[in-house]
Amino acid sequence: MGTRERRIRSNEGDLLLTQLFQSTLLEVDGADSDDVAIAAVGGFGRGELSPGSDLDILILHRGTLSEENLSSFVNKILYPLWDKKIKVDHSVRTRSEVREVAEADLKAILGLLDIRLVCGSAALVADVQIDALDEWRKNSKRRLPELESSLLERHQRSGELAYLLEPDLKEARGGLRDITAIRALEKSGAISIPMERISVAESLLSNVREALHIVSGRDKDKLFFQEQDKVAAHLGFADADVLMSEVAQAARSVDYLLDSTWYRLAHKGKDSAGRFLRKVRSTTLSRDISVANKEVTIDIDADFSLDPTIGLRACAAAAQLGLPISMDSLERLSAALKLGMTNLPNPWPRDARENLISLIGAGPAMVQIFEALDQEEIIFHWIPEWRAVRSLPQRNVLHRHTVDRHMVETAVQAAALTRKVHRPDLLLFSALFHDIGKGTDEDHSERGAALIAPLAKRIGFSSSDIKTIQLLVQHHLLLSATATRRDLDDPATITAVADLIPDLQTLELLHALSIADGEATGRAAWTDWKASLVAELVKRVGMALTDNTVAQQPELSEEQRTKAESGKLSVTIEDRENVYAIEIVIPDSTGVLSTVAGVLNLLRLDVRSARTKSVGNSAVMEWIVIPDPNAPALDEGKLHDEINRALKSRSTLSERIQARIDAYAELPTIPVPDPIVETFLDAATDATIIEVRSHDRPALLFGIGDSITRSSVDIRSAIVTTLGAEAIDTLYVTEIGGGPLTPERADEVALRLRAALK
Amino acid sequence: MKLITAILKPFKLDEVKEALQAAGINGMTVSEASGFGRQRGHTEVYRGAEYTVDLVPKVRLEVLVDDKDAASAVDVIVKAASTGSIGDGKVWTTPVEQVVRVRTGERGPDAI
Repeated sequence: MGTRERRIRSNEGDLLLTQLFQSTLLEVDGADSDDVAIAAVGGFGRGELSPGSDLDILILHRGTLSEENLSSFVNKILYPLWDKKIKVDHSVRTRSEVREVAEADLKAILGLLDIRLVCGSAALVADVQIDALDEWRKNSKRRLPELESSLLERHQRSGELAYLLEPDLKEARGGLRDITAIRALEKSGAISIPMERISVAESLLSNVREALHIVSGRDKDKLFFQEQDKVAAHLGFADADVLMSEVAQAARSVDYLLDSTWYRLAHKGKDSAGRFLRKVRSTTLSRDISVANKEVTIDIDADFSLDPTIGLRACAAAAQLGLPISMDSLERLSAALKLGMTNLPNPWPRDARENLISLIGAGPAMVQIFEALDQEEIIFHWIPEWRAVRSLPQRNVLHRHTVDRHMVETAVQAAALTRKVHRPDLLLFSALFHDIGKGTDEDHSERGAALIAPLAKRIGFSSSDIKTIQLLVQHHLLLSATATRRDLDDPATITAVADLIPDLQTLELLHALSIADGEATGRAAWTDWKASLVAELVKRVGMALTDNTVAQQPELSEEQRTKAESGKLSVTIEDRENVYAIEIVIPDSTGVLSTVAGVLNLLRLDVRSARTKSVGNSAVMEWIVIPDPNAPALDEGKLHDEINRALKSRSTLSERIQARIDAYAELPTIPVPDPIVETFLDAATDATIIEVRSHDRPALLFGIGDSITRSSVDIRSAIVTTLGAEAIDTLYVTEIGGGPLTPERADEVALRLRAALK
Repeated sequence: MKLITAILKPFKLDEVKEALQAAGINGMTVSEASGFGRQRGHTEVYRGAEYTVDLVPKVRLEVLVDDKDAASAVDVIVKAASTGSIGDGKVWTTPVEQVVRVRTGERGPDAI
């Protein structure tokens, strides 16, 4: 079984055709071996024949034979083949007829790209071959889009080889026909393709197809459920699961190469108007990371050993922009990881973890990045646990995807639910790893909970967060199982669930995870009907839990109170390795929060969290910021001066920030859930609480503070949190003279804020 | 022959299924349904806002039985599905003219 057998079969075909050709030459008047030829095309042209495949032949002639003699010549070749029950797919043409067909018919020209002389006039076959290549290369601008749309149409029709229960090895996405397409793309000369990346896949898929033909005794390419065990046995795989996993892996590598090739071709050195550029335009995103040709690239001179977070930063940036990472960058990263040059420390630093969360939270844009990380074997260096679920099939009617892809799809669904929870980072992380315990006979939820704890610890989560993540993984099926199988009217049902879940924040996480898991599994497992039952359960359990979703006002230390009494601006900076903790005490005035946020933004300091509180005539602020790699050096004096300057001229500050926002606006964006603004009138005695949950973006906090100030409202305290690419800001506000807002005023402020965030 | 249709609380499905199997009835069709009966849904208060829930999730179970088994099958379902509270559901029977087993072409009670 293998390439050698297929070559032998092809050689046998050649021999048979040559014998028939020789004898026919003698029998037909005027037939001359300089004027006729038999050529093999398609798979037979490449010298490979599966047991059930047709002999794909082209009989070429120079038009010198009379019609009668030509048809007698052809019949004398074909009839003996038909008598032997050999299936032949033939056509009879002159060189100019071939040219006409090649111009009009995509399938014909693809077959001709593999043409090979079997017997007869070598010159004739060579001419036809040159014509075909010429046509394909000269008109590649027209032909390649034709090829692309035929692929899209076929992929729509046949689905994905990697994920179907009963895939078509030839037609499905990532299958053998796609390999032919990649080869044709390469022959067009429009782009260079590393064909060696799919050589293993090609031989595996060809072998499986051949085995299928042998065990089924038919020439069909659809790998039905009932044949999978037999094919696995024939090829010496342990069982059908192993076979299907290998098939999935092969298909994914084909798909990855095809996808990235089309992408490179579409964006190869063109400007926004589609004109080819001599010099590639590149935009620097952050240190060592740029965008060029609509791909995110890691700069060629980047030193991976100095900064082990480059890879994650590039992934997060690419996912958040909705762009792929260049294959070359990924190959360099992969090589550096293999050589052990760029290992992340244990636990990961904060920005590595935040970038992982930004990657996971990018929604559909994350899929292609994660697929690339799998194909380049990068993910296994960061998350070794991932290898055990790689292309692990779930051969049941509920699931559409392999375990790894299902978890990626769950993360995609979870990204759409980030506004529904107060800890989007925990939701996204748990979604991506909720089934990590699959692959053995043990209960996968229990096993997953045991595996996730050390993983979450390595990524750098706090011990209380690890507990929550563990609970989410262990009980990710709890809500849907309980909602459909227990009596929701029975108080014991509600108590049983409430006993497992510590608080409302965890319940909303578990609810969102259940929805994401269900949506990713598919319609067979998740319907509106089931969703409504789960929502009912969640509502009832929620009433039995304490509400800890709204952030509490910060407490101040004695020292901070003393500083606040002085009423003077003071700045203290603590450098904590890549992160600055900044304490600012500042004379209180309306709009002071947005002013300081704006100054930090202009100094290229990314706000990760902040806690501020007004006391007496001062505001005390604690900021945690990560400097942008291009940020200027920071010291207390400089920050002090910048804040003073901004306090004097707020309009200049606004203009400068607007200029920065405009610069960012040139970069592409991904769709994200709309921001949510909620007001709580009774949750605090002396203030109204406004909670904003939004996707992070440049100068978000400045914009929020600015809008609230414009509503003539005072911000008494603020708790600002950024988790990956999601921001949650809780603001305790009062009327300028003091006292909470009336419901009407609160609505007015919220309305204005929503408009500002649009 | 009779078609028994039962509208049940979702969590009662497993019990009803087991009770029917114990009574010798193995084939059934189950689908997700939602609706309301005499209780007309109910009003809920959530985060300060009042809203009416008018469609309650249920399962719909359908069983084909011979005439002589119909009454006892209905009893089995009612007994297993009952919790005694509002919204337990309904069971009804309808006469069936013909039944054909697709694979063999058997007709009438043989096809059940």
